[in-house]
Amino acid sequence: MTRAGASSSAFVSARIIARPPKQRLSRCVRQTLALACAAIQLAVVLLSTTAAADQTLDAIRQRGTLIWGADQEGGGPFVYPQSDDPTRLTGFEVELAELIAAHIGVKAQFAQGQWDKLPDVMDRGDIDIVLNGYEWTPNRAQRYGTSIPYYIYELQLLGRVGDESLTSWEDLRNPLDGRPRKVSVLGGTAAQDYIEKEGEGKIELALFDGATDAMEATELGLSSIDANLQDLPVWTFYSEGFTRLRPIGSPVGRGYYVALTRKADTDLLKAVNEAILKALQDGSLHQILSRYRMWNETQMARGLETNASGGFVGSFISGADVGEKRVDGQESSFEQTSGWRVIWQRGGLLIDAAGMTVLLSVTAMPLAVLIGLAIALSRLYGPGWLRFPAACYVELVRGTPLVLQLYLIYFLLPKLLDTMLPGSGLTINAFTAAVMGLAINYSAYEAEIYRGGIQSIPKGQMEAAVSLGMSKALALRRVIVPQATRLVLPPMTNDFIALFKDTAVCSVITVVELSKMYYIQARSAGAIVELGLLTALLYMAMSYPLSLVTNRLEKNLSQERRS
Amino acid sequence: MIELTKIVKRYQEHEVLRGVSLTVDDGEVCVLLGPSGGGKSTLLRTINGLETFDSGKIRVGDVTLPATPGPERDKSLAIIRQRVGMVFQQFNLFPHRTVLQNVTEAPIHVLKQPRDVAVATARRLLERVGMLEKQDARPGSLSGGQQQRVAIARTLAMSPEAILFDEPTSALDPRTTAEVISVMTDLAAAGQRMIVVTHAMSFARTVAHQVHILHAGTIAESGPPLQIFEAPQTDITRSFLSEAAIA
Repeated sequence: MTRAGASSSAFVSARIIARPPKQRLSRCVRQTLALACAAIQLAVVLLSTTAAADQTLDAIRQRGTLIWGADQEGGGPFVYPQSDDPTRLTGFEVELAELIAAHIGVKAQFAQGQWDKLPDVMDRGDIDIVLNGYEWTPNRAQRYGTSIPYYIYELQLLGRVGDESLTSWEDLRNPLDGRPRKVSVLGGTAAQDYIEKEGEGKIELALFDGATDAMEATELGLSSIDANLQDLPVWTFYSEGFTRLRPIGSPVGRGYYVALTRKADTDLLKAVNEAILKALQDGSLHQILSRYRMWNETQMARGLETNASGGFVGSFISGADVGEKRVDGQESSFEQTSGWRVIWQRGGLLIDAAGMTVLLSVTAMPLAVLIGLAIALSRLYGPGWLRFPAACYVELVRGTPLVLQLYLIYFLLPKLLDTMLPGSGLTINAFTAAVMGLAINYSAYEAEIYRGGIQSIPKGQMEAAVSLGMSKALALRRVIVPQATRLVLPPMTNDFIALFKDTAVCSVITVVELSKMYYIQARSAGAIVELGLLTALLYMAMSYPLSLVTNRLEKNLSQERRS
Repeated sequence: MIELTKIVKRYQEHEVLRGVSLTVDDGEVCVLLGPSGGGKSTLLRTINGLETFDSGKIRVGDVTLPATPGPERDKSLAIIRQRVGMVFQQFNLFPHRTVLQNVTEAPIHVLKQPRDVAVATARRLLERVGMLEKQDARPGSLSGGQQQRVAIARTLAMSPEAILFDEPTSALDPRTTAEVISVMTDLAAAGQRMIVVTHAMSFARTVAHQVHILHAGTIAESGPPLQIFEAPQTDITRSFLSEAAIA
């Protein structure tokens, strides 16, 4: 159910990322997002950026918290819910964030965001730094402040235990029985780039959205996948959960995980660098990494060169003093929990998240109905100059995906507000943006439903009403709309059910609702089935009563019509 | 007084009304007869603005309704619709309201009558049309004749100077037709001015003061029922009456 065997999607270009687990958006949604990204980047360029010099560090000190962004869905060993207490976060980046915050003299505050949107969320000003397995690339260094590396990752090829046809990279390039070998990778990551570059066109790719999904598919040999190319830290973390996989050859494709800041925040970037450097020197980084089995010799070979504004320049020196290689405390690795225990342990979190789903729905739907009714009335009875824009609104909103609308409202609107009303301090939080997006999106559908409903009221009703001296507005209010409402209630309830499920899309703008919480918890507990069933059950519990209402309404209506 | 002067209406090339002029005095019962497609209903519906017309003018008391759309026409219509009621072939009761609410709806929301006054009036009118027992019923549960009697009460609740009846019994069977005709006859006897488009010859013969034969968009003959039915002056009237007799 949660295994997304996504096929290659065009927009995930090579310059993106090395790393973890990603969201479960379908291919077309991704393409849409690519479009949105392009639009927003354009807007950012156009509107940017009157931001005053670097006051961020001062602001952080004043506030007393360093807000760092990451996506829990990425799972271990990066940032993930603690297995014995899923309400708490753990992971080497959590410890690193605390270490950086302590260096600045503040507390670390975590902010959840969709992984590939984290830099946008940072641009928007909602978080101070991104610390989530972002790979250093020249492009990224141009766009953002990139810290010195806190980890040097490599890629590990994984094959199935006992599969003698695949024991080396060389085997991978040789077709088996005339068929090219197939490697699963996380879509849009360095692993994908590596296979594309090194495979010389002889290796087939299977793209996945989640690191563990890719490993599981490889273990099971689904869609004739032969191997998996995985980030080494992910493999070491999860290796116990995948006993039928084994490493093949030495790690390859070295790269750097760096923290991101806004380009202008050079003081903040320097402070982050100082903190990482200090942790390197006094051995605390070594200890953190060891706790997650991430420490290896490669970490000794670390580039630390920065440019004048503190940005890591990607060069490479070795032999930095990394201190004692001693681990204190326990190692952390993937712990699978399953059965009733995981439901008991994490069910509460899912139920809480379901509360957010309900809240989003019950706030957005009435708004959608009101806006929709206004649009429908404008189209049917409004003055000529209003009808056309109303029709355009419907077509525009109906013709574009919800995820794009949410994206624009969340990322673009604040910039527009800031440009039009400088200094007004108006901001739109994620929840408001989510409700606005859902309400606007559904209003177009409600408008069409209402228009259909109103048009199906016999003409004689309006004639009778105006013949009694009612104005058109009064006739609409007292005669037409009440009758239309009864007709449209069943399809509207239907839409309400659909809206319940569409709230899942809001995770792209950092709102954590039921689906997102499910992905986070299922990934970190490895309990895809158990939590999946619980999540499905929760969705059912929310929508089934509405189905009953719909049935009831439809029955009443058909009785009324018969009489 | 209601006065129509040279009313012309076209649907594209086709002239439905070709300069019809007509006067209805206070207290007069005026019946429009004629073959289907002769323009009777269209003419009736121009009076309260449910149909537009292309030239000519309509006067209701001191209010003139021009042909040209615009604020002046809208203003006149607002007044005319409060003074002139209408009863439809398909009744057009509001199905989401009870019988009583159908009758009180306009007095409360258009005339701004206090609810208790409107309800008292409505009950009196429902009694007059023999529908008081059904005051809490929904229109959907009534027979056609019952619905039409409620529709008449609904129109009467606005105390109209005139009532336009647009084929009020065409959708009814003979028995319920008789109910409605009897209510209309009572109203006429009480001096209610009305303009009636109908195929009910007996009503025209016994109740009407003036009968107009409308044929192909013009008035072929006008006169008291005695003249029209006993001594028709034109061939059109004669042929219409003989066809109607066969039907």
